[in-house]
Amino acid sequence: MRKYKMCMIPAYPLENVQLLKDRVLLPYVCYRLFGESFSIVTQSTGDYPYLSCLEGTDLIPLPEDRPHMEAAVSYVSAHSQDIDLLFLFGARGEYMELARTYKSLRPDGVIYLKLDTNIDWANAYPLHDKNFSVFLEDCDIISCETRRLQSFLYKKWLRPVEYIPNGVWYPLYPEAGDVQLADKENMILTVGRLGTAQKNSMMLLYAYALAFPSLKEPWELVMAGSVTPEFQAEYDRFCKEFPPLAPHIHLTGHISDKQTLYQYYKRARIFALTSRAEGSPNVFSEAAIFGCTVITTGVDAAPDMTDNGRVGRISPDPEDVKGFSKELLSLCQDTGYLARNFHEIRSYMRAYFDYERLAGRLRSLVGLQALKRRTS
Amino acid sequence: MRIIATGTCVSLEESGQVFTLLEKPALPDYSNITKRPYFSVYYSEGETVWERLSCSMAKFAELCRDDPYLGCYALLLHRLYPLLLSDNRAKNLAAYGAGTDCMAYRVIQDFMTFLHTGSALTALALSPFSFTAVSPGSCSALLYRLDTCPAPAAVCDAINKVKPGGLFLLYTIKETVSEELVCLCTKAKKDSFGPCTLYTLTVDEAVMDFARENGSEAFVLARASEITRRAEDLGGLIQAMLAGTALPDDAWFIAVTILQQTEELLLSLYDYLENDELPVFANALKEAVLNYHTGINRQSDLTSYQKDLAETAEIFFTAVETEF
Repeated sequence: MRKYKMCMIPAYPLENVQLLKDRVLLPYVCYRLFGESFSIVTQSTGDYPYLSCLEGTDLIPLPEDRPHMEAAVSYVSAHSQDIDLLFLFGARGEYMELARTYKSLRPDGVIYLKLDTNIDWANAYPLHDKNFSVFLEDCDIISCETRRLQSFLYKKWLRPVEYIPNGVWYPLYPEAGDVQLADKENMILTVGRLGTAQKNSMMLLYAYALAFPSLKEPWELVMAGSVTPEFQAEYDRFCKEFPPLAPHIHLTGHISDKQTLYQYYKRARIFALTSRAEGSPNVFSEAAIFGCTVITTGVDAAPDMTDNGRVGRISPDPEDVKGFSKELLSLCQDTGYLARNFHEIRSYMRAYFDYERLAGRLRSLVGLQALKRRTS
Repeated sequence: MRIIATGTCVSLEESGQVFTLLEKPALPDYSNITKRPYFSVYYSEGETVWERLSCSMAKFAELCRDDPYLGCYALLLHRLYPLLLSDNRAKNLAAYGAGTDCMAYRVIQDFMTFLHTGSALTALALSPFSFTAVSPGSCSALLYRLDTCPAPAAVCDAINKVKPGGLFLLYTIKETVSEELVCLCTKAKKDSFGPCTLYTLTVDEAVMDFARENGSEAFVLARASEITRRAEDLGGLIQAMLAGTALPDDAWFIAVTILQQTEELLLSLYDYLENDELPVFANALKEAVLNYHTGINRQSDLTSYQKDLAETAEIFFTAVETEF
């Protein structure tokens, strides 16, 4: 089996926290599976302590005397022979010259573009721009993170677009293997930047408030993540308006220690996502491998995250507080389903969201590209 | 490039080279022709056909002087002239490739109206769908700018709109035509001056046969038959996979390769598909095959992969059967 020299170049200088997200993790797992070497080429934004989790990765700093992408193009011009498989993240205009340069020097090389997109972005790509079309042609394999988007992009781009969701690399989550049903508590958890328009956090507060009087057992609502001042004010007002609820709602603030966050995932029975728009949130995968049942608005990834409602619940309209509350209440009352789903959702994740498995599929797709070139 | 119209001759001139487009006919022998506009107008008082033609050529020169296709327009009128004057019937012409606001087409339309008020030149919008609005075999002539849409299937679709015996005028400012069209162009009268080339084809049986064989209908049918053939090959393979039959190692790779090819074939027919999800179904089946194969290699529980494979295969094959 052929081994590839792999390289990931971000469109913007990489931050430490991004090392453990999809843009780096998927290429890294590919490297472990079928790579000869793996480098990340970026201008530095500071220290990279998470690099210690990615053994074998070579972080190559770009000079900072010119813009990031200009430096990246120079790097590729000089080192194209050291790159058999180039990973790009996001269909960004910044990449156009880089991809063209690489392809002109290495027509036998493979570019894999992970789109990291949502339906709004997908509708805004400048398809009328010839350079952008050339860029898409330069990318041998393109994947998006949700099936809904995949179907949409086929219609817009008339080219194959693979479905590769944001998954998990299990070695990063040893705690997820130990979690037991008995660890679970009546806790509804949400994780994210609370108060941003995208996260629609107020909806969860009000949906919880509507469900609260009908709950047969007490349920806690834990909202983890940084809080905008506006949301903090809304939350304070909410607690004054509904004093009986206040003791049951907890804002943790920003959690920098992953272990602390994992403890919440471990305890929560339900993970709630009220986003207005979202591609494929990383938090979903994290929650799901800890056996949390997901309730979500109709974000692009909702059908994939819940296996079309089998291992989770979808309340499609992100403005429909009553609808979300009804689904939430029904989920809280259905203890049998929550218990069964603790196992079901984890099996589902293992089967379809494990990066090692997804990287295996990517290896076949890269192999198919090579075959296609030989036959054409 | 310049258009030069004198009292007796219209020609193209560039860098000392001259191409004579038309010469004013000497007094014709019209003993057996009495009704044709060519003669009735020619000898009437007021503007003669020749004067109007000269005027049209002057308009080309004025309105299209910066247009690289100027020479092509003059060549087009040179080849259309005998057709337009051949009888007193209204002519239905269509033009594709220069957009609907092309000034040269307006000049030709003006000349046609002068000869017969019922004649029309319809400039089609720049979309392959424009041709669906034109009935097959309905045009006396069709003007086609090859550089706008060089796809052989589109050229052939355009030819199919021309009446038997009508003219298909293919013009370009490129030096060569694609390999697929060379055979067609050898059947044509070729006028070439400077960068401008015009191929004039009389739509006879041979041209019509070529157009039928290479038009999008034939293309779609050929692709459809390739797809159904691949689907049949795949059907057997997938059944064997689901039945747990021992398969050679490369069987999986072959299945995935066939699916990838099928996906690309489906995308090439995308404009014609009734079910526009078909390419996605092919992709989903490819994914299911790969997942199942990875599952076997990793010795995982295969239940969900097998179920997926069965379901996506069912969806794909049913959709292919319904579509084709």
